[in-house]
Amino acid sequence: MAAQWGPPAPTRRDPVQPARSATLLVVPALAGGLVALTLGIYGRLHSPTGVAVDIVGFSSPATVKAWLASAAVVFALVQLGSALVMYGKVPGISAPSWTRGLHRWSGRIAFILTVPVVVHCLYALGFQTFSTRVLVHSIAGCLFFGAFTVKMLALTRRGMPGWVLPVLGGLVFTLLVVLWFTSAFWFFSIFGFRR
Amino acid sequence: MKIPTPVITLIVGVALAASLLFSSMTAVSAKKDALAKASASAAASASAAATASAAQPTATPSRGFVVPAHANYVGKVKANEGSVALVVHDNFAIAYYCNGSTEEAWLKGTPHDGKLSMTGKNNASLTADYALGHARGTVVVDGTAHIFSIIAVHKPSGLYQSIATVRGATIKAGWIVLADGTQVGSLEPNADAAQPSAQAAPKLDIPSLTARDGDTTLVAKPIDAEIGSGF
Repeated sequence: MAAQWGPPAPTRRDPVQPARSATLLVVPALAGGLVALTLGIYGRLHSPTGVAVDIVGFSSPATVKAWLASAAVVFALVQLGSALVMYGKVPGISAPSWTRGLHRWSGRIAFILTVPVVVHCLYALGFQTFSTRVLVHSIAGCLFFGAFTVKMLALTRRGMPGWVLPVLGGLVFTLLVVLWFTSAFWFFSIFGFRR
Repeated sequence: MKIPTPVITLIVGVALAASLLFSSMTAVSAKKDALAKASASAAASASAAATASAAQPTATPSRGFVVPAHANYVGKVKANEGSVALVVHDNFAIAYYCNGSTEEAWLKGTPHDGKLSMTGKNNASLTADYALGHARGTVVVDGTAHIFSIIAVHKPSGLYQSIATVRGATIKAGWIVLADGTQVGSLEPNADAAQPSAQAAPKLDIPSLTARDGDTTLVAKPIDAEIGSGF
């Protein structure tokens, strides 16, 4: 059952396949847009509390978030690598059988790691615009979860053009890296590596 | 019908987010209760000791906001690079406005029922309303009014001050560390003057609470109502 969500192997590209239609992407895209808008509007309307649940072992919520986000980026790099291997883009490496499992699980872990971060961001800080970094971060944060929703829902639909999953995956990866650079990287560069 | 695994991933994420949001809300309301209790008991002991403590900032005034007895607020002012910090500790409040260079002001005042009216040198003034989690108002520095709407913060965000005497002059520096960790600070090289001038403060190292001003090491202390520092 699970195997059908994987990307098509390039060798299986068959000229007599049924017509592939990007219109299948409409519902996932609408759902993703709804997610992004919901996060942004909540972040804008909800009055930031400045506090949320702290995690033991770290000095502040900001450091927890910086480390969680960094861990998510590490798993996202695994995502990028495993995707390149699966699509045969790495010369000399044919995808081992466990690549798909690696890709799925690294993605799930990366996503779950981002959830506490976004909850804290939205509940304690909100959608803010007071500097370019913060504005970029706020927008990218909303788009990231929207794009991730589109990617997940797109995986459940068969018969879409081959470019859909790589584009969506690349978009999610890029947004996560933008988020990381505008938050955790910025934080570590100012405060140093601290827990 | 079997639920596709990517949808399960989304559901797990939403469930985790919902539970974290719920526990955050519980944590915040528990904090609210604790603050209300603390200020209620403070009010009780204060009225036992001194009868005329009318300005006691206790919980829940008529407007329906919870007014904390101890709170730190920081944030940027509107349409400007300046930031403002507001620290309320029982019957005393300290505020600081600075833009990281020549404009800054220290202000003092007495809170009353979630309202503040503060004054400082150079005719600086500040009026604000504050409640649990949020404060808003206007600060006038060097003849310019700045409107602010700022949030409650905890260490390491907040207000820091350093006062040092170097070669007979009092150096007074202040830093505001915003909720996102960015800091803005100004320094008065001669704070005893009637109209002290200001310049950009050196960067404050938060872990060590020190800053280097030329060959002088400035030692800062937090002005933090929650830990009672600086009052």
